[in-house]
Amino acid sequence: MTTAARKKPFSLAKSRRTIQWLAVIGTFVLGLRHIMPGEASRGGSFDSFCAFGGIETLLPYLFTGHLLKSTNLLNFSVLIATLGVALVAGRAFCGWLCGLGAIQDFVAEWTRKLFGERRHIRGKQSKTILPLRLPAIVDRPLRYTKYLVLGIILIASLYAAFPPLREFCPVRAVFSLKMTSLLWLTLGIFLAGSILVERFWCKYLCPLGATLAIFNKISPVRIVSDNNHCNNCGRCDIECSMGIEDVPHNLDHPECVRCMECLNTCARDGSLELKVIAKVK
Amino acid sequence: MKINPRYYPAIIIATYVIFLLLGILLGFGPERGGEGRGNSSLIRLAFITLETLA
Repeated sequence: MTTAARKKPFSLAKSRRTIQWLAVIGTFVLGLRHIMPGEASRGGSFDSFCAFGGIETLLPYLFTGHLLKSTNLLNFSVLIATLGVALVAGRAFCGWLCGLGAIQDFVAEWTRKLFGERRHIRGKQSKTILPLRLPAIVDRPLRYTKYLVLGIILIASLYAAFPPLREFCPVRAVFSLKMTSLLWLTLGIFLAGSILVERFWCKYLCPLGATLAIFNKISPVRIVSDNNHCNNCGRCDIECSMGIEDVPHNLDHPECVRCMECLNTCARDGSLELKVIAKVK
Repeated sequence: MKINPRYYPAIIIATYVIFLLLGILLGFGPERGGEGRGNSSLIRLAFITLETLA
């Protein structure tokens, strides 16, 4: 008797989780490489693989022709790749490929488990006390902080020898394995923040996220809602890790990291669909 | 045009790889011991073109 192999249904959430783990492992491998002797002779330091390093060193490169120390021309290629993804799919880099974003998602999940959530049910509000959802009156102004951080870094980059964020960079704190007292402090704040608020760094401080936010308005690959099908059940709002309110009407919101959790959670066929929109509003 | 969500991860990864290769082809590649300095062949070409035109 033969048994026909059952084909497992495709899970976008599992694909995302796999890619996120690969991003974390890949960044960790770069960190390991960073502590090996003679790393400079093998094509650059840990900072050379950072997309934001490309932004930090861009203005000095354009004005003086010199890159900031610890950066490399490779930073521009990584930046071009990140901007390419943003041009096509908005902040999808943040939701799928960023190792730091992945760590925050994992920390939020582990925190919920630690506080008693046995199994996460999609679209159902978690009863755990952490991570918190800050009230809008606090949350909204705080979200502008990342644009301020970006502005300060761009100005500082013109006067700095090293990338201005380098000593406070959470990517280095989590992955680089070359710790300083400032990086330990950054790691502590980053982890505490991620336990308290889901995607704390992305929401409030990430200057790369601030750079990519504008692309959510112009990228052609996006989720589109159909008001005829949507019954405003709010399941997508609950599942949004970036805490966007009224998701079906804010699908091109600058805070959206295109993680597709809303699409995964939506129980009504045709209510949310992934489309290529040729004409941007 | 509607896209099947199962192709979304492939779209993102393919876009990232294509643009990364494009960046490297434009001359923004890793340079041995090239930290803190470096001249993209593209930038060099742009300067030469500008000088020629001037």
